[in-house]
Amino acid sequence: MKSDRVFQSFPVTADTHTLDAYRARGGYGGLTKALTAMQPLEVEQQVAASGLQGRGGAGFGVGQKWSFVSKKSPVVYLCCNADEGEPGTFKDRWILEHSPHQLLEGMLLASYALRVRHAFVYIRGEFDLPLRRLQGALQEARAAGLVGERILGTDFSCDIVIHRGAGAYVCGEESSLLNSLEGKKGYPRNKPPFPAIKGLYQRPTVVNNVETLSAVPWIIVNGGPAYAAMGVKKNPGTRLFGLSGHVDRPGIYERPTGYPLKKLLFEDAGGVLGGKALKAVIPGGSSTPILTAAEAEHLTLDAEALSKAGSMLGSGAIIVIAEGTCMVRLLQVLTRFYSHESCGQCTPCREGTDWMNRILQRILAGQGTAADLVSLQEIPQAIMGKTICALGDAASMPVLSFIKKFGPEFQHYIEHGRSVHDGRLTV
Amino acid sequence: MKLTIDQREIEALDGENVLQAAKRHGIEIPHFCYHDKLSVAGNCRMCLVKVNGLPKLMPACNLPVAPKMNIETQCDEVHKARKQVMQFILLNHPVDCGICDKAGECTLQDNQVRYGSPESRSAEPKLHQRKLFALSPRISLDNERCILCSRCVRFTSEISGSNALGIVDRGCHSYVERVSSQPFDDPYSDNVIGLCPTGALLSADFLYKSRVWFLEPVRSVCTGCSRGCSVDAWRRMKVREPKAPGMPQPQVYRISAHDNPEINGPWLCNKGFDLAKAMARERPLQPTLAGQPASGAAAVAQARRLLAEAQKPALLVSAHASNEELDACRDALQALGGRVTAYVRQDVQPAAGEVLQDALLIRADKNPNSFGVQARFGSAAFDATAGHDLVIVWGEFTDFASLGEVRTVHLSTFGPAPGARIDVALPVSTTFERAGSFSNFEGKRNTFVAVHDKPPEVQHAADVFRSLFS
Amino acid sequence: MSAVLTPVLRERFDAIRALYPEEMSNSLVLPLLHCTQEAQGFVTEDDTVMIAAYIGVPAMQVLEAMRWYTMFHGAPQGRHVVKVCRNIACALRGSESLIAHLQQRLGINVGQTTPDGRFTLQTVECLASCGTAPAMQVGDTYFEQLDAARVDEILKDLP
Repeated sequence: MKSDRVFQSFPVTADTHTLDAYRARGGYGGLTKALTAMQPLEVEQQVAASGLQGRGGAGFGVGQKWSFVSKKSPVVYLCCNADEGEPGTFKDRWILEHSPHQLLEGMLLASYALRVRHAFVYIRGEFDLPLRRLQGALQEARAAGLVGERILGTDFSCDIVIHRGAGAYVCGEESSLLNSLEGKKGYPRNKPPFPAIKGLYQRPTVVNNVETLSAVPWIIVNGGPAYAAMGVKKNPGTRLFGLSGHVDRPGIYERPTGYPLKKLLFEDAGGVLGGKALKAVIPGGSSTPILTAAEAEHLTLDAEALSKAGSMLGSGAIIVIAEGTCMVRLLQVLTRFYSHESCGQCTPCREGTDWMNRILQRILAGQGTAADLVSLQEIPQAIMGKTICALGDAASMPVLSFIKKFGPEFQHYIEHGRSVHDGRLTV
Repeated sequence: MKLTIDQREIEALDGENVLQAAKRHGIEIPHFCYHDKLSVAGNCRMCLVKVNGLPKLMPACNLPVAPKMNIETQCDEVHKARKQVMQFILLNHPVDCGICDKAGECTLQDNQVRYGSPESRSAEPKLHQRKLFALSPRISLDNERCILCSRCVRFTSEISGSNALGIVDRGCHSYVERVSSQPFDDPYSDNVIGLCPTGALLSADFLYKSRVWFLEPVRSVCTGCSRGCSVDAWRRMKVREPKAPGMPQPQVYRISAHDNPEINGPWLCNKGFDLAKAMARERPLQPTLAGQPASGAAAVAQARRLLAEAQKPALLVSAHASNEELDACRDALQALGGRVTAYVRQDVQPAAGEVLQDALLIRADKNPNSFGVQARFGSAAFDATAGHDLVIVWGEFTDFASLGEVRTVHLSTFGPAPGARIDVALPVSTTFERAGSFSNFEGKRNTFVAVHDKPPEVQHAADVFRSLFS
Repeated sequence: MSAVLTPVLRERFDAIRALYPEEMSNSLVLPLLHCTQEAQGFVTEDDTVMIAAYIGVPAMQVLEAMRWYTMFHGAPQGRHVVKVCRNIACALRGSESLIAHLQQRLGINVGQTTPDGRFTLQTVECLASCGTAPAMQVGDTYFEQLDAARVDEILKDLP
């Protein structure tokens, strides 16, 4: 494996997702090493030493999460969160389509470390090719004795079940995912207890994102410290950044953390579509606060820098917005999304997301008032920090940040009953 | 362990949550969805409190007590959060208190008045939902008033086990529903009415009959089975009697469960909820002699005559009798020195289709005081071969033919089956018409007081026995 | 009322059940809802009662799931259900004009089915095709990097 690429270490062709191709590039070397020469605890320690943080969006320390699982529990479950649904995010899909065995190997390594006998991939119900590629990989792996009883002839046995979701963004939240896996609506759970203590069917469970688990083979082969040496110290490794929106070459770009956003956008990805000026960037998926072009100018793609800029690294999904885009209409695309996806369980999100969306709709219909801008400050503030899960916060941050950074556009729409930019969303 | 709530150090119990601990010390933390007999839902967000100075407020219902924890329920942040939550809860609520039965005993009203803001901050038209939906013949559901606390859902899932109710659809369009092809005939269905913190779930029977502030609860005991659940019988307050004659008013407007940790907890079965209806059935208001109306004095006199003439009189004791009535009867009988043979029986047998016995409340013995009867009179059942010539039957009874060729005196509330040949029929009072107690199947004593007066020509059984056996 | 569990469907249900650990029969709710919808194009309340009986969970649990997850249709749909993403990345790359084009070409509004029963048009949220926007899903198949011409071609080629 190329040392600075955990994922995109090979050119993608028609066969690179197969078992043979994966093996040819060193695949399952990590698993072999772990099963023959390492104890489960050592695998966990290497992951802890790597400093790997969750790649789903929350960024929680993986080693820390694994350490919460009791070593004494007779049953532990592992769930891979493949419910990729954060708008702008399409990186897990990249792994499932082009290197599904990498995920399987990562899951097997995690299962070995955590003493998991049954692991699950919760994959969003809509996925087409990613599902088929994963199913194909699982079949190959089973046939090759890499999944199932006595893997590679050792005492370690582990089965993997692919479980499809059925259309719900909130099921990407780990406790919602668990309820969904248990055959119920994807209502998130109150915490405590946390899944590592009481998760799937009340057993200790670790839920990790696709990209997170897929980084584990590299860590085992090259060692935790080698991973920690990549990127930025407090937020190490590489990430699969996704560029979408008004960008010339949208796609997935693996870069070390700390990589300059400007370089990624303008050098690697061809810059803003149609050579337009950059207006704004949503740096980590639609739930992260939007940044103006000025704020994005010197930004490096690491957690601390994003936090200082008042936003978050999130899922690494960078949505690019060109000059001339109507921010009022764009915000309503998001408020409509969050109100559609609110599960309905808790009061602030259930009522508040629809409330915000209806206000935006009224503004777009030319019937906005100045009081609406006050409401669009108060409502998100009333929701934030008061909900069972982060969807409430996710729905609130775009509203607060869009209006904070592009207030005049909203004021104009309210005063004149129409958009400054003729309601344009495309370039 | 010790922790601090609002600068007050209190003692908390292991395994409690902060809401429970606070309540035990008289600190009310407002809430809708929490109920200590149901799992924690944590969805209403009304009970948010400040913990250990941390910026994020936590729901007290899901917060296990911990030593040295510092809780604030009266700071500005918490006050503000409560106002905000009330705004969200009422956003699409119809606020039709003017036509809602729950007014006056509504948690939503109470919390809004205490913790909410006077005005809605919304300029949007309210979302509408189904109203006046017959969830069952007994329960009316108004989905607009519902705040989706899920208490009713959790009740049918965790307590009654019928799993009849759920919440379907998503987000602000979700609503409480049942499977349309499965009637909500859960024998405990009516508990959701009391559980509901709003006027979403209402008793169809009580619908529009009275404003609750005209009524007062009176402690009584259900007579439906040997569990003897505590109930409240609601009557109109004397100071609220209608001034002018109008529509006839029921004596008891409704029955609700009375929380009795010893016997039924906060629950009651539907038969218990129907107790007032059962007590209000048509009944004889006048004694009869051989089917002809007679005065109470004449009837008792005739009964005394029959008793004096009888060679071998028997008494069938009622399992609906209160302990006090049973004492009066036994004491009066002792004066006769064993002349009358007392037998016991279970007056009421399960009706066709009635739940026999379950793991929650319902018992197979459909009589409230078999325990009290057996403690005083033993367990001998009536012996038709023993040559009795007079049988005094106490309690509901239909099979007079099975007694054989005997003279009969019948003390009952609801009268014998039509066509029965009774020598002396003496209507006696119901549980609602006197004070007393029952001993349930576990021997636990439960007392009741009179809810209303008895009809003038109806007597108390204890008085009848005192006259009869002296 | 329960729908009838046909032998064909039962065989498929059994095969799915065999994939899960025995103690996880509750997890069968979503897979069996998917399976039933694949067989007949939609799932009714009576189907949820049937599925619940097969698994051994309360009917209400399956009904809640059927009503809450967006992928399940409660009523028959057109032969091809066209689901166009309306979320942010697709919106920035022209999904709105695509949707307008489809409405015009099919002669129906979003949420409706063509009179000949061939197409149902829906909008959906993010399909994770942001890098290949705008995108749509017809049945199970993703179609990406769309424009009006490509959409016309795709619709023409569908049976």
